[in-house]
Amino acid sequence: MPRTLGRPVVLVLLTAIVLYPLAWMLGSAFKSPQEILNNMAVWPREFTPGNFADGWSHFDVAFGRFFVNSAMVAGLTVVANCVSCLLAAYAFARLRFRLRGFWFAVMIGTLLLPGHVLIVPQFVMFKTFGWVGGDWPYAPLIVPQLLATEAFFVFLMVQFMRGVPRELDDAAKIDGCTAFGVFKHVILPLSRPALVSTAIFSFIWTWNDFFRQLVYLSDLEKYTVPVALTLFIDSTGQSAVGPMFAMSVLSLAPVFLFFVAFQKMLVEGINTTGLKG
Amino acid sequence: MTATHTPRRRFLSSIVAGMIALPLVLGACGGDDEGSSDGKVELSFFWWGGEARAELTEKALDLYTAKHPDVTFKKTWQANQGYFDKLATLTAGDDAPDIFQIDDNFLSEYATRNVTLDLTSYQESGKLDTTKFPEGLWKYGVVDGKLAGLAFGENTQGLVYNKSKLEAAKQPLPETGMSWEEHIAWAQKAGAAAKLPGTQDPSADYKAFWVWLRQQGKEMYNGAELGFTQADVQAWFELWKGARDGKATPTADVIHEGNATDITKQLVVTNKALTSWVWANQMPELQKNTTDELGLVAYPGDASKQWPRASMYFSVFRGTEHKDIAVDVINFLANDPEAGAILGTDRGLPSNLDIRASVAASTDNASMKQTIATIDELAKNYGPSPTVPPKGHSTVRSELIKAAEEAQYGRATPAQAAEQFFAASQAAVSR
Amino acid sequence: MSPVAVTQAPPSPQRPPAGPAATRRRARPARHKSDGLAGYIFLSPWLLGFAAITAIPMLMSLYLSFTNYDVLSDWSSTEWVGLDNYRQMMTEDPSFWHAVRVTITFALVATPLKLAAALGVALLLNRAFRAAGLFRGLFYLPSLLGGSVAVAIVWVSMFNRDGAFNSFLGWFGIEGKAWVNDPDYALGTLILLAVWQFGAPMVIFLAGLKQVPQELYEAASVDGAGPVRQFFNVTLPILSPVIFFNLVLETINGFQGFTSAFVLSGGTGGPVDSTLMYTLHLYNKGFTEYQMGYASAMAWVFLLSIGLVTVLIFRTGKFWVHYSDGDD
Repeated sequence: MPRTLGRPVVLVLLTAIVLYPLAWMLGSAFKSPQEILNNMAVWPREFTPGNFADGWSHFDVAFGRFFVNSAMVAGLTVVANCVSCLLAAYAFARLRFRLRGFWFAVMIGTLLLPGHVLIVPQFVMFKTFGWVGGDWPYAPLIVPQLLATEAFFVFLMVQFMRGVPRELDDAAKIDGCTAFGVFKHVILPLSRPALVSTAIFSFIWTWNDFFRQLVYLSDLEKYTVPVALTLFIDSTGQSAVGPMFAMSVLSLAPVFLFFVAFQKMLVEGINTTGLKG
Repeated sequence: MTATHTPRRRFLSSIVAGMIALPLVLGACGGDDEGSSDGKVELSFFWWGGEARAELTEKALDLYTAKHPDVTFKKTWQANQGYFDKLATLTAGDDAPDIFQIDDNFLSEYATRNVTLDLTSYQESGKLDTTKFPEGLWKYGVVDGKLAGLAFGENTQGLVYNKSKLEAAKQPLPETGMSWEEHIAWAQKAGAAAKLPGTQDPSADYKAFWVWLRQQGKEMYNGAELGFTQADVQAWFELWKGARDGKATPTADVIHEGNATDITKQLVVTNKALTSWVWANQMPELQKNTTDELGLVAYPGDASKQWPRASMYFSVFRGTEHKDIAVDVINFLANDPEAGAILGTDRGLPSNLDIRASVAASTDNASMKQTIATIDELAKNYGPSPTVPPKGHSTVRSELIKAAEEAQYGRATPAQAAEQFFAASQAAVSR
Repeated sequence: MSPVAVTQAPPSPQRPPAGPAATRRRARPARHKSDGLAGYIFLSPWLLGFAAITAIPMLMSLYLSFTNYDVLSDWSSTEWVGLDNYRQMMTEDPSFWHAVRVTITFALVATPLKLAAALGVALLLNRAFRAAGLFRGLFYLPSLLGGSVAVAIVWVSMFNRDGAFNSFLGWFGIEGKAWVNDPDYALGTLILLAVWQFGAPMVIFLAGLKQVPQELYEAASVDGAGPVRQFFNVTLPILSPVIFFNLVLETINGFQGFTSAFVLSGGTGGPVDSTLMYTLHLYNKGFTEYQMGYASAMAWVFLLSIGLVTVLIFRTGKFWVHYSDGDD
């Protein structure tokens, strides 16, 4: 293995730099509002753990409810994206069909339009579909993911699949596999790093997505974490900066755990999986 | 959501319908017809604010339901971040709330585009009672001759100062009635003594500029046109250049921080200046963000040029199915003594003067008391109100910040900045 | 479940691949037809999603870009204005060109820095050592914050005149500026924020590095290649599709950069427009000035320009991206 000299030093230094702002944020979760605005130090002068209790029960609905809603939306999105984008990516990366290049360009094109001009037309469209409001207002957030509309992930998986040697497909075909067989026996097992990346990103982006969730959710009980977090700060009126920091820190915890759990799968590459029956 | 609204915003919907028909047949459910045949009515009600406001508003609306069991509410609230984006999106989808909160930055945008119901006829018939309102206040909801929103809460400009620090430095407190020059001279001296810049430079602040203009016999707007000249702007920018040169204000980067509208960023709270230019009703919330004691006076110059500003309005969506009930609800919130007692001064001083008097008598919050006293004191001298800012006002506001900051950072002379601002705001209002 | 046939042939350490595979590849034209149906079957969810969900709003925005659509008005007052929005943008809106400059500066500086940081850290972390997982998580944390209010407050307090960064500079006797509040440096802090959130491309690099077969390193070692040569001869070529992906995506993201500019400047793009990113200007036009027709026109100009950049990147990719599927 290449040299390891100095790596620990570099790592620790880097970590310190990268984490300093986060440490400040963590510290602020224990500060009073005045201190958050005025005390530039990480450590609170006056320890205020009450921010957490206050934040948790700040609204009529306990903050846990927002966690549940967010987890549901994020979880469904992860599954939807992994399945639908993998299918599309396989077609783009491995199969030959008419207009493939054209559709690929179209797909990349959908990444390029700034989203803000789509909010209003999309809202109108989903309203026409009858998806807006109701007891389960999450359809506009999830159904699009079922249909692989998140081109980022399709592209991601296409790039990964193109890194898989085609000899593997060819060998499978010689053994009598159809396109479906190749997908099942070659591509699916070998796409794990890409699937794990997709899962991580889907989860985290959904967890942080504010604007779409804001537009479609109109009932406190249905709010998700990012929407709820903004409720603490009404910049022209009442604000609860301390509880906001406490809940921001808390909202990072599940994502962090999710990441740490899944990143293990990133560590195992194709050397150890899939290739040897 | 409430039932179908009148068929007005079919524009986008029809495009959508056309486009759906083209490529694929999808399970589009189409319309959203759910009539209300049993006499039960659900009104959607949308406002921005914090948790405290939410609690009070929900309580007041529940009181209405208790008195009118057939009427219930779908209550949605949000912080002001994203509020107007969502309101606009809902409006575009013909899905606007039956009743929504709005402020004078946006009232004209909505009113001139016929989103809001004209409340004039309700006012004339007495179904919407404004007889106990200060006249200038309800009139500040009139756009193009139509009553577009019911002023809900009165407010005015206020200069907040750090009383603790001034007293510690043995400096006189600012007083209502100082001229602008006196204010700047005071800030210079007090600031030097307290070792903290004396005043935030408000040259980027439209409400300070507006008050100053009125004291010069001008206006911010005459109808949909600008009420000032480029020379006025230049004089305003030069006044504050003098203040900066005389070290009455902080440095440009600190001024920039204070130019944000957030309460938590006001320099008097972040301890970066002795005074900040705010709305008087923000006093109690400002006080919460600092351990120092704060005080409140009017803006410098002739205080009678300030006016009763509606801190916010309730408007009714023109496409609502239940116009009469919606109007009755906002009438109830504004004029019912019980509802008034619940809502308190959360949205500003109650518009109804009887209710204001009883709320003022019952509050025990010191900074709230001072706010009410200051506004009431100023109210004695109010001259006529200006008209509500026209369409394009939000652009004018951001252009003022941009131009004033160019001057503050020394990237432009007051003359250049004035020219830039004047041209940009003329373009904005004439759009 | 044992992957059929795969047992036969682990990827050959030498490139190009051994003879039989190459022969088979040449025979590929015969497969074109047979994949056609399967191709569209696998593609069908995406096609449906595109037609029913993506295409409609996109085409609507294209249509609206030729109108004076203002979000709030009744349809009867929405008029066809032809190319007026496009003309106005090019000739009458100084902020437009200013935003273009800001955006290009941001994208050109932030994208390479972010990618370099991501690749560098990914290489450092691509080893099995104790706490490697923890480090990965920690480096990824900043990306999790996205554009929350908390981030804005944190960043402003770091890079203020009396912030932590200046205290740090103070140790070396340097007097810092009011970085976030200085029009000369505000964009720099925004770039720093983007680079700080290098976790996303880092994760993708990590996933890509896992695809590099260990055998290749072993073979290179046998050939006497040191770590540097291994990096250039083995890692980089195999990683190139992933680098390409990150480059395309981060370039697009860089140009679209909205969130951090929005939260740091409170939506204004200040001080004095120094952080007025293109998308922020677009957003303000659409949602605070209600000129949605104009904003849509801006969006389509953006799509065309950035599309051109993307095509260029794809073109250059032909020279440096190596696909194991031999399907360039």
